[in-house]
Amino acid sequence: MTALTAGRTRRRGSGTNPSKRSTKERLPWGSPTVYFIAFVVIALMVVPIIYIILGGFRTNSQITVDPAGFPNPWNVQNYLNVLGGSVFWGQVLNSTIVALVTTIGAVGLGLMASYVLARYQFRGRGALYALFAAGLMFPITVAITPLYLVVRNLGLMNSLGGVIIPQIAFALPTTIIILVPFLRAIPDEIQEAAFIDGCSRLGFFFRMVLRLSLPGVITTGILAFIGSWNSYLLPLFILNNDSTFTLPLGVQAFSSQYATDTAQVLAFTSLSMIPALIFFSLFERRIVGGLTGAVKG
Amino acid sequence: MKGMKLLTGAAVLVLGSLALSACSGPSDSSSDSKVSMTLWHNATTGPGAAFWKTTVADFEKANPNVTIKIQAIQNEDLDGKLQTALNSGDAPDIFLQRGGGKMAAMVQAGQLMDLTDKVSSDTKKVVSDASFKAETYQDKVWAMPVSVLPGGLFYSQDLFKAAGITEAPATIDDLSADVQKLKATGVAPIALGAKDAWPAAHWFYWFALRECSPATMEKTADSKDFSDGCWLKAAQDLQDFAAQNPFNDGFLTTSAQQGAGSSAGLVANHKAAMELMGAWDPGVIASLTPDQKPLPDLGFYPFPELSGGKGEPGAIMGGVDGYSCSVKAPKQCADFLNYIATTPVQEAYYKAFNAPPVNTEAQKQVTEPYLQDVLAAYNKAPYVSQWLDTVLGQNIGNALNVAVVDMLAGKSDPKGLIQAANDAAKKG
Amino acid sequence: MSTTRETTRPGSVSTSDLAQHDGSGAKASLPSRPRRRGAGWSGRAEIALLAGPAVIVFLAFVILPVAMAAYYGFYRWAGYGPPTDFVGLQNYVVILTDPAFLQAIGHNAFIVVMSLVIQGPIAILLALLLNRRMRGQSIIRILIFVPYVISEVVVGTGWSLMLSTNGALNGMLHNLGLGSLAHDWLSDPNIAIWTLMGILTWKYVGFAVILFLAGLQGIPEELYEAAALDGASYWQMQRRITLPLLGPTLRIWAFLSIIGALQLFDLVYIIWGQYVASTAGTSTMATYMVANGRNAGNYGYGNAVAVVIFLISLVVALIYQRFVLRRDTAGALTERKTR
Repeated sequence: MTALTAGRTRRRGSGTNPSKRSTKERLPWGSPTVYFIAFVVIALMVVPIIYIILGGFRTNSQITVDPAGFPNPWNVQNYLNVLGGSVFWGQVLNSTIVALVTTIGAVGLGLMASYVLARYQFRGRGALYALFAAGLMFPITVAITPLYLVVRNLGLMNSLGGVIIPQIAFALPTTIIILVPFLRAIPDEIQEAAFIDGCSRLGFFFRMVLRLSLPGVITTGILAFIGSWNSYLLPLFILNNDSTFTLPLGVQAFSSQYATDTAQVLAFTSLSMIPALIFFSLFERRIVGGLTGAVKG
Repeated sequence: MKGMKLLTGAAVLVLGSLALSACSGPSDSSSDSKVSMTLWHNATTGPGAAFWKTTVADFEKANPNVTIKIQAIQNEDLDGKLQTALNSGDAPDIFLQRGGGKMAAMVQAGQLMDLTDKVSSDTKKVVSDASFKAETYQDKVWAMPVSVLPGGLFYSQDLFKAAGITEAPATIDDLSADVQKLKATGVAPIALGAKDAWPAAHWFYWFALRECSPATMEKTADSKDFSDGCWLKAAQDLQDFAAQNPFNDGFLTTSAQQGAGSSAGLVANHKAAMELMGAWDPGVIASLTPDQKPLPDLGFYPFPELSGGKGEPGAIMGGVDGYSCSVKAPKQCADFLNYIATTPVQEAYYKAFNAPPVNTEAQKQVTEPYLQDVLAAYNKAPYVSQWLDTVLGQNIGNALNVAVVDMLAGKSDPKGLIQAANDAAKKG
Repeated sequence: MSTTRETTRPGSVSTSDLAQHDGSGAKASLPSRPRRRGAGWSGRAEIALLAGPAVIVFLAFVILPVAMAAYYGFYRWAGYGPPTDFVGLQNYVVILTDPAFLQAIGHNAFIVVMSLVIQGPIAILLALLLNRRMRGQSIIRILIFVPYVISEVVVGTGWSLMLSTNGALNGMLHNLGLGSLAHDWLSDPNIAIWTLMGILTWKYVGFAVILFLAGLQGIPEELYEAAALDGASYWQMQRRITLPLLGPTLRIWAFLSIIGALQLFDLVYIIWGQYVASTAGTSTMATYMVANGRNAGNYGYGNAVAVVIFLISLVVALIYQRFVLRRDTAGALTERKTR
């Protein structure tokens, strides 16, 4: 016990306690070398993205004639077309609903299953873990046809649920594989302490495990959200009604049988990556917020 | 272990019920009072999408007890979605039909409505038998043709003039000479979207059309055996032609129609002088020009003749777009198909898609000179073949597409190409 | 002095040694052996309750479709109507003797190895770099992660435009007067695979960095402080403390990376197209599957290729589990007493 409290006081001193951070203590500057390296790396990461964003401001003809050039003249029509139409916002809403529910479902179910795999001992545990890991091995491009039949037989066609539940299922292997080590790392001492305090195993799960494994939970949550946000194949097959379309499907509107409006597609996809980025930036603090001090100390 | 047993038991129950509840969808009760149908097409944007909305609205007005729900699906995705829907009994009533091997497979699976007796006599008056031939399998008609898309070379008259070319090449030797002239002016003589493979394969198919007699081609279509010497000769012709470097730089990673940077885009922006394509190309090029209007100096000439070949001079290759009814569709589906073949609708189709209609009356309304040239070449051709990859079926067609790209990239040779085609039969 | 797994690694200080040293319970950060649980009825009910929903959803929506797909692999099937042409194992024979498929396996193997070799060190260094509190850390982390957020379709389209022979990169080189450096980035067989590795690194290194950042959070600062007191240099600390304790995260990342590399499809398909992928030397098993399966109308054959990919991935995963992950998931697959 003393080890824990000792750790906690020491943690407070070095100020990584997140509640302290929110009162906006000033962070120190890093060394210039660090910033320089970070700048180079970021430049490499971001230049292609900028290319995509700028591409939305050009016309197809511009892109063909002068691939490396800047928009000349700047053509805001593509972006306006997207933002002005009601279709885009409806799709944003659908995508958001699907992604949020998928994330909550995948992380919730995954966390429960990982807890069982990490901290219970029973025959067949290896088989259960292998079952989930095996699901990772199969490419979805092939499973889509029989999956369609399953969804249809359950009456989930053309509904967001028919997209959400299979996405949860396909997100489970990655979630579980990442969470199991996190959950294993929770020391027995904490669990014993909780039991001594009268907590049941289930109570321990619901009250403490979530908080203790938060970095892992956030990580898998972000992965699940992004996976769902960008998913194209599954919604394509399940959703027939324009009003249920998610964002990736919206790209279809800009490609007819014989032509693709590249510039318009670039504008559309530039806009559609924004919500996923916002979601990530909201939660990225929590990954590195470091509750671990209180736990591992 | 009881926990695990409980789990397994529950899972088996769920799985069992899922497996047992296969393939029993609710069927449309097609009573005469209210009929509702679904239409799947691939014109997701622009005048094409508007065309279908108008056409459906007009049909519904003329037939008040019918409603049709439209779904526009991106072209690349349509086949997969359609196939899955057909297999699960969920098929739309009216849908785009590609013809060829895909249609044959649908017929064999009993998924299409037989239209042979449902084509009205009015329709037969304005749509030629030749157009129906593309939608015929085992002597029955399975789709209504709406557009005929013959192939040939679409070129920029301005670029030709600038290179000192006064008339379109009539033979392959003329074409080779023109290629040299165009190179001297600094533009790419021929745009080729080899990334999508079929544009490259089209060069092979056209050479084959010139080298092989129609009888040989039909025999090979049945036997899938490419041992006749004309096929090897066609491959050799292509290799020789490609050795002059007539194609644009980086043609291996140039797409055919995917927007900016595609071969159509090169022609639209006068960076390449011509490309070998079907009659949909003017519409594609028009979308990629700087002002997004049709290319003003666009011209057309048929694929040049080859001396010594066994093919019929003037033979032409092309595709036909059509629409089928699913076998479960109500009979009003056939009425709709007859409706879209009528002259006013066909004229609207031509205006919307800038592609030649099948309706011979509507064809008289075509104004663009290059489309008129296309139709002229088509109507006087002694022999019309569908695209060879359609005729040979998707499996062989696909293998040929790959083999041609390999040969053009230098990874293979004419013998290798023929070998690949023969080998493909093993996979399907 | 417990004989933990860590001592079996030559040349490394056992972290449990360190743990004894400063006595702050740092050993708790090692993956610990779980106590025996689940002996009673309530335990089993809990197991069923907690794991049940995940298992049911997974079986119904993943395993069942996969089994059905495997079933189709025994047929020659054009994809319309029910399959009727049973050919047994013939599809598999054709696959395993097709030089195009064997080439694809070779490419996959290359990508697997190179992904680990290139992304791993870069990501670790970046994670170390970003694991300190400094101004702008949030925005830096967000920007590094951005490529991962964007869908593969967009990435493919963008890079395609940039790297094609008439694309932005060559155009820019020409504009800068460096025209001689312009290459056929995508279609030259000597370069294409490296181009692919570059794009893959660009897209996925952010994922690795995020994982490692999360893992780094699990390492208590006391260890570093204690080592600093003992006079260890920065790099010594990384080698002796960070790497071993990051071990479980590293191994999980490597596992996901390997499996992802074996199944690589979207990026290659969109940038290279299904045909040029083989000409340029970047075809993968999955592009082979789609090119010879769905796109050729050979659905039975395509499903058989999918089963082959599955089996190869499974074998690799099992080997990896047995020899590498064993220490992390000890007891999951094999019962091993370590204390």
